[in-house]
Amino acid sequence: MHFTPPSSRRKWRTFATATLALGALVALAGCAAPSAEATSAFTDWDSVVSDAQGQTVNLWMYGGDEQGNSYVDDVLAPAAAAEGVTLNRVPIVDTKDALNRVLTELQAGRTADGSVDLVWVNGDNFRTGSEAGAWLCEWTPLLPNMRNVSATDPLLGSDFGTPVNGCEAPWNKAQFSVAYNSDVVADPPSTVAGILEWAASHPGRFTYPAPPDFTGSAFVRQVLYSVSGGYENVPAAYSAESFDQLTPDLYTALSDVAPSLWRGGDTYPADVDQLNQLYADGQIDMTLTYGPATLTRLVEDGTFPAATKVLSIAEGTLGNASFLAIPANAAHAAGAMVVANLALSVEQQVAKADPTRWGQFTALDVAALTPAERQQFADLPQSTVVPSFEVLSRNANPELSAEWVPAVNEGWRTRIPTR
Amino acid sequence: MLAVLLIVWFALPLVPLALWAFADRWSFPSAIPTVWGVDGLDAAIAAGGPAASGRSFLLGLTVALIATPIGALAARGLVAGWAPLPKILPVLLFAPVAIPPFAAVLGTNVLLLRAHVPPMLGLVVVLVAAAVPYTTFMLRTAYAAHDVGFEEEARTLGASAGQVLWRVHLPLMAPALARAAFLAFLVGWSDYLVTLIVGGGQFVTLPMITASLAAGIGNDSVVAVLSLTAVLPPLILLVLLARTGSHRRP
Amino acid sequence: MGSRGKRGMANPNPDPVNRLRGARLLLIVGMIPVVVVVVGGLGSTILQSIGLMPLVGPVRLSVDAYVSTAPALLSSIGTSLWIAAASTAVAIVLGATTAFVVVSGGRLGRIVGAIGAVTVSVPHLIGAATMGLLLADSGVLPRLLGIDATAWPALVAGPWWVAVIAEYAWKESAFIALVVAGTLLTRVAQFDEPAAMLGASRGARLRMVFLPLAAPALIVSATIVFIYTLGSYEVAWLLGRTYPEPLAVMAIRLFNDVSLSSRTESAAIAVLTVAISLAAVAVAAVAMRRSAVWR
Repeated sequence: MHFTPPSSRRKWRTFATATLALGALVALAGCAAPSAEATSAFTDWDSVVSDAQGQTVNLWMYGGDEQGNSYVDDVLAPAAAAEGVTLNRVPIVDTKDALNRVLTELQAGRTADGSVDLVWVNGDNFRTGSEAGAWLCEWTPLLPNMRNVSATDPLLGSDFGTPVNGCEAPWNKAQFSVAYNSDVVADPPSTVAGILEWAASHPGRFTYPAPPDFTGSAFVRQVLYSVSGGYENVPAAYSAESFDQLTPDLYTALSDVAPSLWRGGDTYPADVDQLNQLYADGQIDMTLTYGPATLTRLVEDGTFPAATKVLSIAEGTLGNASFLAIPANAAHAAGAMVVANLALSVEQQVAKADPTRWGQFTALDVAALTPAERQQFADLPQSTVVPSFEVLSRNANPELSAEWVPAVNEGWRTRIPTR
Repeated sequence: MLAVLLIVWFALPLVPLALWAFADRWSFPSAIPTVWGVDGLDAAIAAGGPAASGRSFLLGLTVALIATPIGALAARGLVAGWAPLPKILPVLLFAPVAIPPFAAVLGTNVLLLRAHVPPMLGLVVVLVAAAVPYTTFMLRTAYAAHDVGFEEEARTLGASAGQVLWRVHLPLMAPALARAAFLAFLVGWSDYLVTLIVGGGQFVTLPMITASLAAGIGNDSVVAVLSLTAVLPPLILLVLLARTGSHRRP
Repeated sequence: MGSRGKRGMANPNPDPVNRLRGARLLLIVGMIPVVVVVVGGLGSTILQSIGLMPLVGPVRLSVDAYVSTAPALLSSIGTSLWIAAASTAVAIVLGATTAFVVVSGGRLGRIVGAIGAVTVSVPHLIGAATMGLLLADSGVLPRLLGIDATAWPALVAGPWWVAVIAEYAWKESAFIALVVAGTLLTRVAQFDEPAAMLGASRGARLRMVFLPLAAPALIVSATIVFIYTLGSYEVAWLLGRTYPEPLAVMAIRLFNDVSLSSRTESAAIAVLTVAISLAAVAVAAVAMRRSAVWR
């Protein structure tokens, strides 16, 4: 009974070999890299709207912000339904998950029936997607509500140094901010250099997330501007010469301050969430954020100390915008455009900017709106924690070109934690 | 004494979850929640927790129902020696555990997408593959210890194959089968990456909601409620399975 | 077993050879998902690591990815092996003890079994979150014990990866207990009760009855724990430190790098991880052959 006749054994072996070979062939056939940038097939808005009717748009978005989730579910989705589009939010841990799904689809040659229709994206992920030709491009000029957006706004023309090229529609603006506990920090610093000095004189009470974390990497670039004597002295275009010339001071400053950081600079929080947790647990007295919108709720619900305030930085900080992008292979691109357009309407942008709702700064050019529309923004309640965008974005610093980011991150990784 | 220490070992890490689930506010440096309440529960319901739990349960059940019989077949085949490729099969079965999940999932997904396998079917295929190693090895050790004598005897007494399976084999194997099914259920019940990447986001499950909320600050309460929710159904399932098992034990 | 085969009229059994063929065919069909995942996952990872499956750019066979990751590998391999070995060791001891208590029965044994099952049900991501809340410098445990954050040892993100190992050991000891107890529940009673009646002490029963019977399940489940711990990254990423990086953390960081070309390096590390895992499987197979109960 335990004996298998040789003939049948050979048969199974053949079968298994055939399966393996077949699988390998199919995998090999998938080698072709995705084609270059896809452009929208639509030429006018009316055909987009008629095409969009009845479509279900899958919006993949980071789900760690309850206010953002409920804004999309309770405000944006009903408005989209009124325009004939069902909006389905897919909660994800990290925007990279959405990008990875799209890249796998493209890698498998699925170029028209993708499962991701819309992604909340900016920065690294947008750049990675652009590199792979993963975004649908040149579609934002079709959106009627793009007229509410400034055509010359540098924050919206390039996304962390990667040209936008109509591959994503603006959604929110944000400003790199430093929050601190004003009960403990009696002498709040007013410059980036001042923050490092404060850290040095208060051992263990400051740290930043390890690059390549988005926020940690932004902080390191802020320090680069500071040690270089201002962003004006750092050429936006990357070159090895500029890197070699400017970064030694950066890494010296960071390794000098390291022994005074949390845990003596022996380790760093892996991401901004961990940094926030340390701040919430009273282990450090300052935290960094690229999305100050969330601070209001975190103070209100007692996660952060009640005395949390936003540092005012004299030389200004990095500004950025976040966008809605449509993958090149989205199955419901028309519906996605309708949602992106809707998200840019004054009504939606006002609702989203309400600190009790979500508190995201508007991407619209408020000065160019009608007086009645401007009034809607002016009537919004003020956050008790976060200053207005006008105050925060004073002296806003431009971003470096995208090539700088991996170079600075890699330089940090090889020099600072191995110290 | 030993048992008490083990209870502490297993229960202690659950303490923050249990406390957070009923904390409306828990500010530093208080050792216990500063305001008790059920905000977390409300938020969990608002986040779609109940429907997502239903979907996860369905997924876990599907995976268990497919992966347990496959595991039983493979285990029996390996123990009895009639399994094909007896040298390669165990390595093949270890491989899904050995390949780092992100590599396995993304690579497999290219294959599935290329072959136009529907996302839901692909999802089940990948999760079954992830569960089969657990069911097989769970059952393999059980079959290795299993005495086929009872079945032989039943057959000699004239029982049909079906009777032997249902009346003798399954009752004897019930505890091990129940545990194997439980492990397979958990693979589907607690998966995030495969459900999202292979399932294409169409099927929003409990781990997707929980993990995405856990990625943000200030959500501890809702995450705790969702996590405790995630613990209950498997536990109920295990108790039920254990009960059927123990009744039939000869 | 040779007496099987032709039987009298009263026996409706189908031909056993046919039955076996059917079972074997079913098994092959059942293995299809596993083959798909192994071929798809491992195949594409290997192809990617040698430059044959780039997301962007030309297809070019090279071992660059292996060469360029080499300098950092030694410390990463060391860190990964430390975490996996320590987690597995603690999980084996506590898992086997738990299984012994569960199999021995009694009310406490049932409670231990139930709470162990709860632990198995907690996803690792949540396990890491709750372990972080418990063990952080100003976490729940130091707060409850009234110990100041500055006096609390660096368990989370500390030099010995204690919180990471604690999380893996916690979850995986429950897993090992489940597997081992599941195998033994029907079995041990047959041997244990007579041994107890013959006056064997608890320690003697553990050594003479329980451990020999548990060895195969213990070896298999420990191997699964080891290779799982080696390949997964979330816990080490959430509760670990910036440097040195475990293999899986390095792989995921390179995989998610802004530059898509880093994915070849990520794939190379994944292949290396699989190789180490398979070496561990080979060691386990040798250990298994030595264990008496295994066929």
